[in-house]
Amino acid sequence: MMIQKITLTNFRNYQKQTLTLGSGIHFIIGANGAGKTNLLEALYVLSLAKSYKVEDADLIRYTCDFAKIQASVASQNRQIDLSLIITEIGKKALLNDHEIKRLSDYIGNLHIVSFLPEDMSLIKGSPGDRRYYFDVFLSQIDKNYLEMLTTYKYTLRQRNELLKKLSAEPKPDTTLLDVLTEQLAFHAQQVMARRDEFVKEINDVLNSAYKRLAHKNEMMSMTYCPSIEATDTTAFLKSKYHQDLVARITNYGPHRDDYDFYLDDRLARNHASQGEQRTMILSLIMALGDLIYQIKKERPVFLLDDVFSELDSERQNRLLEYLTTANLQAIVTTTSVQEIKETIIKKAKIFRVTNGYIKEEY
Amino acid sequence: MIYPEALEELISEFMKYPGIGRKTAERYALYTVNHFDQEALDRFSQALSAIKSRIGRCRICGHLTETDPCAICQDPNRDKSVIMVVESPKDVFTIEKSNKFRGIYHVLHGALSPLDGLGPDELNLASLWPRIQQSEVKELIIATSATQEGEATAMYIQRVVKNMDLLLTRIGYGVPVGTNLEYADEKTLSKAIENRRSF
Repeated sequence: MMIQKITLTNFRNYQKQTLTLGSGIHFIIGANGAGKTNLLEALYVLSLAKSYKVEDADLIRYTCDFAKIQASVASQNRQIDLSLIITEIGKKALLNDHEIKRLSDYIGNLHIVSFLPEDMSLIKGSPGDRRYYFDVFLSQIDKNYLEMLTTYKYTLRQRNELLKKLSAEPKPDTTLLDVLTEQLAFHAQQVMARRDEFVKEINDVLNSAYKRLAHKNEMMSMTYCPSIEATDTTAFLKSKYHQDLVARITNYGPHRDDYDFYLDDRLARNHASQGEQRTMILSLIMALGDLIYQIKKERPVFLLDDVFSELDSERQNRLLEYLTTANLQAIVTTTSVQEIKETIIKKAKIFRVTNGYIKEEY
Repeated sequence: MIYPEALEELISEFMKYPGIGRKTAERYALYTVNHFDQEALDRFSQALSAIKSRIGRCRICGHLTETDPCAICQDPNRDKSVIMVVESPKDVFTIEKSNKFRGIYHVLHGALSPLDGLGPDELNLASLWPRIQQSEVKELIIATSATQEGEATAMYIQRVVKNMDLLLTRIGYGVPVGTNLEYADEKTLSKAIENRRSF
């Protein structure tokens, strides 16, 4: 999968910017605050119709009333045009100039795997960060997952609202709670099954990615820690009515799931150093790319923001060598390319960003 | 304010309708001023102000009606042994247009949705229970929507009536007639496969 051309209009600090991209690595160089990350964010938003950090309205350039991202993407011998228009009151997604009403039909047309500064907390951060990261990934490769998760979250909100109401009653009638619990359990099982399957799939490729990057004999693995381990989800949720009514919220379910990372039998959350964490996350990203390749038969676009700091030059170059795999496209921001091997630089495209303006260097 | 106050007032009245935003409301208000004579406006405002006194809910089924009970409940040719439960009066009008149903209705005026403040007490459910206990009622067809709320409502009714001597059915959901299979979305298609019948 390859973005051939991208045009940003009124996006963040870009007024109007068109870039022509190809295969291989694209280095985006510039000082802090020049707009390197904004470019990656634009590609992220184009793929997922949503930013990873801000509300839609914040993506619009100051004093403008809309932002637009357009791209031509080459995907398995066909060409697709994607556009996303963001206004204060909503957004519109177009595929080949046709408006797509349901975002679940739009997401998944441009596959990306990203590493953003926020993702450094993937290992030691909150369970919510991990769930969000993998939910976004699964939504891209599995449209059914996005729909299951959306229905689950909606049913959860209904149930929580009912719990609030029932908790105020001296003798609550639980007939409707039974119904919502059964609905919730049904969707929960689907979400949990997909997450479980995903962790099995990623473990098949994760360790080899880690070995390739770290050159170490340790084994990297990931586990899924579901909040509900009982086989009968409905019965389990029903056994927690009292606890839920006291807390006025649903205490168990996929919205409380977590994932753990290990190096051999060391739990990374407790034991990994800053450098180890970075190596693990980058290995994970390579593995996610490999997984997409297995399922979709084409490579995703890699968006890597400031990946090189805290990574020794050997690992930097190993990562870059991976990114030069045939038919792979990577957009990589960095403050400087001085430490990067001449052979890689020669094959790469280099763009310099200054104050919302991008220029290719030859 | 750009518009004179009288126009502005009319605009804000139109904006109370679902699906009507500021721009459409402005168009309607200007159209009213430019194209309606006083006679037409009087007819319009009379129809509007009389609507609540002329239309009420049927005391039996809850459908919107000018007579109480409604024409459907009063019709001797309707099959009183079959009651179809629907979410809204609009559903009754839609099903009536199809001419396929000869039973009677029960209109809930909503579906169970805690987020919208709609619990069993807020819906027209209390009058359903005594209705279905009458011996002449043999079948209850649940025709709520295929949404989370519609399904929850169907399941709720099922819980309450499960020990009654009554045939409980749910209307089938599936492929729209007159369309190719390829145009049906995956969810509808999987429902249709789930609800397939012998042929």
